[in-house]
Amino acid sequence: MNNKKELAPHIEDINRALNEKLSEEQIEEELQTYLDVYGVPLGTAKRAIVKKHEGDPGDLYVSTEKKIEDIQGDEQGLNLKARLVSLNDKEIEVEGEPKKINYGILGDDTGTIPFTAWEIFSFDVEKGDTISVQNAYANMWNDKPQVNISSKSSVSLIDPDEVPDFDSEAQPCKLEDLREGMNNLKVKARILQVEKKMVNTKNGEKELFSGTLADETGKAQFSAWYDFGLEEDDIVEIEGGYVRSWRGIPQFSFDDSAELEFLDDDELPPAEELREKTVMTISALAKRGGAVDAVVDAVMIDIKSGSGLIFRCPECGRVVQKGACRVHGKVEGDPDLRVKGILDDGTGALTVIANKELTEELLGYDLEKALDIAKDKMNQDVIQDELEDELIAQPLRTVGNVTSDEYGLMLIADEIQFKAVDVEEEARELLDEVRV
Amino acid sequence: MSMMNREVAWRIFADEFNKSTLETGGGEERTPSYLITPLGAKINRVYVVGVLTEIENRGTPEEPMWRARVTDPTGTFFVSAGQYQPDVATKLAHMDPPAFVAVIGKANIYRPDEETVLTSIRGELVKEVDEEQRDYWILEATRSLKERLGAVNEAAQMEEVSTDELVDLGYDLKLADGIKAASEHYDSFQIEKYWRVLEDALMYVLPEYEEAGGLEEEEESTEEEEEIEDLVLEVLEELEDEADGENGVEYDTVMEETLEEKDISQEKFEEAVNSLRNSGKIYEPVLGNLKRIY
Repeated sequence: MNNKKELAPHIEDINRALNEKLSEEQIEEELQTYLDVYGVPLGTAKRAIVKKHEGDPGDLYVSTEKKIEDIQGDEQGLNLKARLVSLNDKEIEVEGEPKKINYGILGDDTGTIPFTAWEIFSFDVEKGDTISVQNAYANMWNDKPQVNISSKSSVSLIDPDEVPDFDSEAQPCKLEDLREGMNNLKVKARILQVEKKMVNTKNGEKELFSGTLADETGKAQFSAWYDFGLEEDDIVEIEGGYVRSWRGIPQFSFDDSAELEFLDDDELPPAEELREKTVMTISALAKRGGAVDAVVDAVMIDIKSGSGLIFRCPECGRVVQKGACRVHGKVEGDPDLRVKGILDDGTGALTVIANKELTEELLGYDLEKALDIAKDKMNQDVIQDELEDELIAQPLRTVGNVTSDEYGLMLIADEIQFKAVDVEEEARELLDEVRV
Repeated sequence: MSMMNREVAWRIFADEFNKSTLETGGGEERTPSYLITPLGAKINRVYVVGVLTEIENRGTPEEPMWRARVTDPTGTFFVSAGQYQPDVATKLAHMDPPAFVAVIGKANIYRPDEETVLTSIRGELVKEVDEEQRDYWILEATRSLKERLGAVNEAAQMEEVSTDELVDLGYDLKLADGIKAASEHYDSFQIEKYWRVLEDALMYVLPEYEEAGGLEEEEESTEEEEEIEDLVLEVLEELEDEADGENGVEYDTVMEETLEEKDISQEKFEEAVNSLRNSGKIYEPVLGNLKRIY
C-alpha cells in the first residue's frame, strides 16, 4: 500500500528531524513497520520514530504537496514542484550582519506565487529551472500568499517534465480588464498620481507607494510595496503585478518581485488626456465589481426613503428614526441632507449616495433653508418630495467611486450634474446609422 | 461574491412590449419572473415615458384598482396600481390627462383565456415629466431597440441560435438568453418591421419629419375625406352629449349613426376615424370607445 515513492517525502522529514542520524533505509523500514504491521497513522508513526531516536517531533510535520493555486498562506511543511518564473537576489541585514537571499516568482500550471529563499540557493540555478521544494512554509505578505524557503527546507533541481508546461510570461492586461485575484500581470500605464505612505503591517511599519495609474482604457488605483522611484507622469511597464480588490474596486499591486521598466513619454497619450473621464455602463461596472472615479450616465428612477432632510445621532452618526437612535436611544439628532437613490442606465442599476454639499447643490438651497421649509410645512419629508420632483426621470451624469458588496453596486457621488442632451442631434445621428 | 443586483429597467416601445407572449421564471419563491419580447428583451422591470391619455378606477373607492393608458410613438402601455401600490395609485388618482408621465414598474402578463395574452405594467413609481424628458426616453428606447436588432440580425444568421456565439460577439448574456428563448417561442423575429419602428420613432422626435409628414397627410386627404371626418366629429359630439359618459361612445354606435347620416362604406368610416385619431382630434378612452379631444 505504501510504496516507496509515496513515503519518500516523509522519510525525508524524519531524516531532517533526526539530523540524518539514521540512514534512509533504516527509517523506511521502521516507518513501514509502524504503518503496515501496526496500522498506526502516518503522523503518529513519524512522531514516534523521531522521539524514539531522541529527536524533536516539533521539527516534524506532515508535509503536504500543493499546487500553487491551493496555497492559502498559512501552510507549514509545504512541498511543491515549480518553475522559477523569475529569480533575483538581494542583500538584507540580519542582526546587523549583511546576508544575501534569493527571491522571485514560482509558477506551475495552476498559477504563480512570489517566494523568498532566506538562504541563498546552494547550487547553480537560473530563471526557467524546475525545482522541487520540500518543507517550505507559506505566509501572507502584502495581502497575498508567499512561499518561504528557510534553512530547514530543501530545494533540488528536477526534470522539467515534472511540472506541466504553462505560460510563465506575465499576461498583458489593460486596466479596464483588471479583476480580483489576477496574478502575474503585465501592465503598461502612466502614473497620474503617487504618494508615499507608511502603513502598519504584521511585519511592522512599511513604506507603501500608492496612487492612480491610467492607460487608454481607464484608471486604476495601485499599491507598490517597494520604492521603484515612481514619479507622477512616468510611463512604466510593470511585469509580475497582481490584483487585490477593496470593496469590489480592483487595485493593481506589485512589489520587489515585479520587474519595472520606465518607458518613453510617447508610449501613451498625455496625462491630461488619460485623466479625462470615460463613461462606463453600469453593466460593465457590475462585471468589474467597482471602479475609481467612474463616470455614469443614467436616469434617476427612484429616491429611497431616508433621503432629503435627515437627523443623525450625535454619538454614532446613524440616522435617527422617530427621535431615537438604534443604538443610543432617544437623542437630539444633528440635521443633515443626503440623497439615496437608484440610477439606471438601461444596462443595469446601482445605488447612488450624495452627501450634504451635493444635495444642497441639487436642491438649490442649503441645510438651514431646508430646516426652515420643513418647519414651515411641519414635515421633514417635504425635502425628499422635492428631490423626487427634481431628480426622478432626469438624465444625470454622476462621478464617483463605485464599490460593491452583497447588496449590489454603490456609487458615492463626488459630482452630480443634470445631463444636457441634444435629442434632435443624437436622433439624426442614429437615423443616419440606421439608414445605412 | 454573489451580488443581489437590482433588476435593470428596460426602455422599450409599447409595440414590442405588447407583442410579448412568453414569460419565464417566477415559479419558485423569490425567483424573478421575466417577460420575453419577440426581439429577446428579457424584462422584469420597465421604464417608460409617454403620454397619459386616460385613467380610471376599476376597483372601488375603498379598494382602488387604477388603470392608466400611456402611449408612446408605437402604441399604448397599460399601467395598473392597486392597494399594494398605494403611492402610485394616489399619484395616478390626482393626474389629469393628457400629460407626459414617466412610469417605472414590473412587467406583467395576464391570460384571461387561452387565446388572449394581455401585457401590462404594475406601477412602482409614476411621475409627471415634460416633453424633453419624453424625447430623451424615445432616444434611449431606440438605442436599446437598435442593440437588440443588431443581436437578432446575428442570431437570424445562425443555423441554431447560440447564446455562447452571441456573447462572443459582445452581446450581454441576458440578452443572448432572451434571444435564444424568443427564437424558440415566436414564429419570427420580424426584423424588418422593427427596423421600421426604430426609424419611425427617431423621426417622431425630429421636427423636419413632423412637418413633412403633416404636409403629406394634408395633401392626401381629399375634400370628401374631410367632409366625412367632420361628420364623424359631429355625430360623436351628439352621441357624447346623449351618453354623458366619461368613457366616450362605443365605436359601433358611432359607425351606425354616421353611416345612417351619409351613404359611405365602412372602410371610409374607419379611415376617417384613424385620421382623426392620428391628428389628435379623437381618442380611445377605453378599448372600443371613441371620444373627442377638445
